[in-house]
Amino acid sequence: MTSRPRLATDVNVINGLAAVALFVVMGYVFVTASLPAPSGFPDGSITASIGYAMFGLVDQAAIESEGFLVAFEIIDVLLVAALVGGVMLARRESDGSVVTALTDGGRRLRGNGDSTEADADETSTDGGEH
Amino acid sequence: MAIVTEYYLLLSAAVFCIGVYGILTRRNALVFLMSVELMLNAANINLVAFSFHHGNLTGQVFSLFTMAIAAAEVAVGIGIILVLYRNFQDVDVTKAATMRW
Repeated sequence: MTSRPRLATDVNVINGLAAVALFVVMGYVFVTASLPAPSGFPDGSITASIGYAMFGLVDQAAIESEGFLVAFEIIDVLLVAALVGGVMLARRESDGSVVTALTDGGRRLRGNGDSTEADADETSTDGGEH
Repeated sequence: MAIVTEYYLLLSAAVFCIGVYGILTRRNALVFLMSVELMLNAANINLVAFSFHHGNLTGQVFSLFTMAIAAAEVAVGIGIILVLYRNFQDVDVTKAATMRW
């Protein structure tokens, strides 16, 4: 059985007013700011210039920018660390038991009927109630 | 005819406030991640708009790095939500009120 999406009517109006007030304040600042007309980019390939900037070859780029080679390498390390962290958080052992960051919540885990959840309960909790 | 920078700033403020409202209102942790993504992309709009405003590509390159950081944040966030679901059988952020028993 499916149900159609419904408009949430139990929302907090104060939060909505806060968000709208924030938009009004920022919009007032932006509209009343006296910015000069945008200068735009000079002729030349923007895509190629972005590529040169990412690898620090700013002297070959058609459009001026700074070099980002160090930031590029640091982002590389960051992405690998995030990937490993995500896998470590989500990992299960080959027998299906959960190996990390599982608590019993003060009660036995509500297994969904299969034995692997019960095994996870036996092996992974901190033994607070056993 | 170039669009004036103020309109980009207004769009960015609107997207940011939608993200703020989502974080203040919603209880689903996955919608939280989407709202944080909205706020990060509002900053990206500003970076690209001012990159065009000044005729310098630094802002556009920097917004690419912001997207990469957003991807890393979502990877860790999804992992945390998986653990949250295992411990509480739910992704409602208001149910995870204690860290340890």
